[in-house]
Amino acid sequence: MKEQEKGSIQIETSTDIVRVRRKVREIATTLGFSITDVARIVTAASELARNIVQFAGSGVMQWTILRRNELIGIQLIFVDKGPGIPDVELAMREGYSSGNGLGMGLPGVKKLMDEMEVKSKIGKGTKIKIIKWLRK
Amino acid sequence: MTENLSIIKVEDVLLATIPSDPDDETIAKLQDGILESMKKYKVKGVVMDISAVETMDSYFARAIMETAQMVSLMGGETVIAGMRPSVAITTAQLGLTLKGVHTAIDVESAMEILRKGSQEGREKK
Repeated sequence: MKEQEKGSIQIETSTDIVRVRRKVREIATTLGFSITDVARIVTAASELARNIVQFAGSGVMQWTILRRNELIGIQLIFVDKGPGIPDVELAMREGYSSGNGLGMGLPGVKKLMDEMEVKSKIGKGTKIKIIKWLRK
Repeated sequence: MTENLSIIKVEDVLLATIPSDPDDETIAKLQDGILESMKKYKVKGVVMDISAVETMDSYFARAIMETAQMVSLMGGETVIAGMRPSVAITTAQLGLTLKGVHTAIDVESAMEILRKGSQEGREKK
């Protein structure tokens, strides 16, 4: 893992969602996250990758292993050039789902992770950053 | 790539074993396979063994609920068996509930639930 501390996966089809899940599972397991935390991180990644396939058409997941002093973390950034989220604040509110009832969306992902940052511009795209820190 | 998926008839119940990380295609096949097998074998219920499943996102959870509804429309009952603790924690935190779907700790208990269900049905008659 030392040589490769970051990378990216293109997301276009539902097969790519599985690739994202496998990669994230591999990284999180290697870093030493608990079984439950691995499930949380992989599920969060799966939700965000699916949002890209469903709403943006295509995008990318950039993964980075964070090392800050004694802390180790996994950072995943999902970027797309899709339609964007009209009201990020509303989308982050619990119980909000975008129209066709797809997913519990972003609030669920936020709960599973330690940090989450959403940036979106209508017509330009969306960038979502999520981080989980390893507790020793 | 589609992971192996097995649907077999055990007594008068269908036992569907879900692979650890199914893609959308596998999930769609599962739905079709269960409904086709229900018609073919005229079973009274379906046990979905998810003990191998490591990740359940909202799409997967919704597909399970939808399948259970379809089985119900055809006159059967569905029991989800063997959810891992890590999956249960994640699914609940994500805000997903498998509303209207029976759950059991393992396949054996799931079979028991379906057996009891049909007994109650007979007693009512």
